[in-house]
Amino acid sequence: MPYPVDRRGFLRTAGAAAAALGLGSAVTSCGSGEPSTVTLTWWDYFTLDNFQPGMNRLIKDIEAGVPDVKIERRTFPFAELDRQIALAAISGELPDIAIVDNVAMNTLGGNDLLADLTDRVERWGEADQYYKGPWDGCQIGGKTLGIPNNSNCLALYCNTGMLKSAGVEPPTTWDELASAAQRLTSGDRYGLALSAIRTEEGVFQFLPFLWQAGGDLDTFTTYGATALSFLDDLIAKGSLSEQCVGWTQQDVNTRFLNQRAALQINGPWQIPTLKQADFDWNVVALPRDKEAATCLGGENWVVMASSEHQDKAWEVLEYTQRPSVLVPYLVAFGELPARKDLADQGTWASDPALRLFLSQLPLARPRQYGPRYTEASQAVAEAEQAVLTGSASPSAAARTAAAKIDKALGRQ
Amino acid sequence: MRQRLAPRRRSPRIRFLSPSVRRRRAGYLFCLPGMTFLALFLAYPLFYNVWTSVHDVELGQLLGGAERFNGLENYRAVLDDPAFWHSVRLSLIFTLGSLLLQFAIGFALALLFARPFPLGGLLRSLLMVAWLLPPVVSGTLFRWLLDAESGAYNALLTGVGLGALSHDWLTDPSTSMAGVIFANVWVGVPFNMLLLLVGLHTIDPELHEAAAVDGASAWQRFRHITLPLMRPVSVTVLLLGLVYTFKVFDIIFVMTGGGPVDATRVLPLYVYEVFFTFFRFGQGAAAGLLLLVVPLLAGVFYVRRLRREDEAPAGGAV
Repeated sequence: MPYPVDRRGFLRTAGAAAAALGLGSAVTSCGSGEPSTVTLTWWDYFTLDNFQPGMNRLIKDIEAGVPDVKIERRTFPFAELDRQIALAAISGELPDIAIVDNVAMNTLGGNDLLADLTDRVERWGEADQYYKGPWDGCQIGGKTLGIPNNSNCLALYCNTGMLKSAGVEPPTTWDELASAAQRLTSGDRYGLALSAIRTEEGVFQFLPFLWQAGGDLDTFTTYGATALSFLDDLIAKGSLSEQCVGWTQQDVNTRFLNQRAALQINGPWQIPTLKQADFDWNVVALPRDKEAATCLGGENWVVMASSEHQDKAWEVLEYTQRPSVLVPYLVAFGELPARKDLADQGTWASDPALRLFLSQLPLARPRQYGPRYTEASQAVAEAEQAVLTGSASPSAAARTAAAKIDKALGRQ
Repeated sequence: MRQRLAPRRRSPRIRFLSPSVRRRRAGYLFCLPGMTFLALFLAYPLFYNVWTSVHDVELGQLLGGAERFNGLENYRAVLDDPAFWHSVRLSLIFTLGSLLLQFAIGFALALLFARPFPLGGLLRSLLMVAWLLPPVVSGTLFRWLLDAESGAYNALLTGVGLGALSHDWLTDPSTSMAGVIFANVWVGVPFNMLLLLVGLHTIDPELHEAAAVDGASAWQRFRHITLPLMRPVSVTVLLLGLVYTFKVFDIIFVMTGGGPVDATRVLPLYVYEVFFTFFRFGQGAAAGLLLLVVPLLAGVFYVRRLRREDEAPAGGAV
């Protein structure tokens, strides 16, 4: 055991204190002779039915494999989890463990809500097994505040038949993308579909264009304009529907599935749905401009700074990262590992589409911009919407957004 | 508030108190449950909101417990934010647009339903469904109806050969406001109609009959009898509508989320964003209190009117 402290005694005291404060009995003592069991509260946003078998199995696994632990799980809709955590921070009823979207590290980590795992991770010594993007996304202010659970990124799905009959090769550059999208557009079918909705989802899809242009949020005036005018041209030529300002990534996939878009930008979580399509499709890397880049998605494990059971929570996290636990979990969820050492196990080793996404993970960049990122993100989303709906020119929209971004991120 | 008379009790045990004190004490006692409820669920949150609005509260400070008093700094930040003023403008457009349309349509429908006709009662009840539906349902419904590609509205226009009039209502920043007003009017019309209908029934039919005997046309009777006598009811309906419409959030949130760009980000959505997207609780509280100003003024005006109406003889025009 890493700590010489008498754990049972400590837990009893903590439990008594918690009960005395009226916080409920988070810790239960199971009789005099038996070891005390720690109940860890756990929040995530995997509400859909198809996630439940995998999640229930993982929890059963943990309760069997980690000594004296019980998990009390609560789920929230995807968009609600961050908000619920913020509200819980007000009322002081935060969970011990949460599985959060990697972009939430900006808000949660930047506001000191997360426990510092740096020392524990160092002792653990498996940091170098993770891909750089996902791992970097958990480092905030020189501290390790989370462990990547699974990762994903964006790539370009192609309707194989449409490309073949139009004599178009899968595009690898912006120019090729523009001309392919134009040649693939006919009737009520658009060449390309992507999501430009006014939420983080739309920004997730836009940032790769910004990065591919060679810029980032701190150079938005220039490179934001480049990326925006590229998309603006696609709309002007009719290769991309103006309606994309209202589409979620799910809507985009529906267009692709109904063969009303020949190309779509989307993530690996659409693969199970697309496997049921009655046409052939394949996935290629996002086309590059000055640089090749894609945006990192996926979830991280975090321990809350307010938790009284950080050691136990860390034990749980460490346990979930063992290949014998992680691989079946990821397979059940249809997700990709954030760990390089698992690249040749599981379904992603053989499935060509999953392999392609896995091959892009080294290029995937985390959205790591600090606690005010949501404000910068909204400025980006509004700039994109303004341009794509024709209410602002790319350069004007980029300038407006850049000012807001600089203000939000503190670079006046 | 007007004093309500408590039932007189003849209890010999508390004779040492004068009857008037006893009566007042009973009155306070009867008020107690209501006052407790108001204190817990209205005064406390409101006070907490005021407290938050003069402190520097953001997500990071919540755990440390280091909220700093910063006076009117939050208010200044909100009032300096162009997005706030933009949302105020949008709120005014949304409120006025919704109010006028739902009042006009509600009035017309009330006049229609004021006379009995076959199936009138059934139709009137059916109209109320719009008002009874949860706003999230109506919002989703209109989002689908107005959808550019698969929406029923555009399909209908195309179907009758008016395809040129079809439009991407909700994804075009210049028309998305019209789209959400349209939906909100649909929700608000039945409520307006119902109250106005009640008002119409209070007008003595003999007045109309007498005017008709004197040779007044239908328009003249409407203009010179119905309209003036409906004034008190109309003002009430409009004031209640103003309070209700100014803080509409759900239907817009569901239909557009405030977009495209920021074309439908009315004040309640702005407050929501500051609070729950940016986690600037202090500024959110300040903006929330500023949002209260308009409904509060309308509320005060309404209560004062109500009191005056109570004092004036029933049916009297003001």
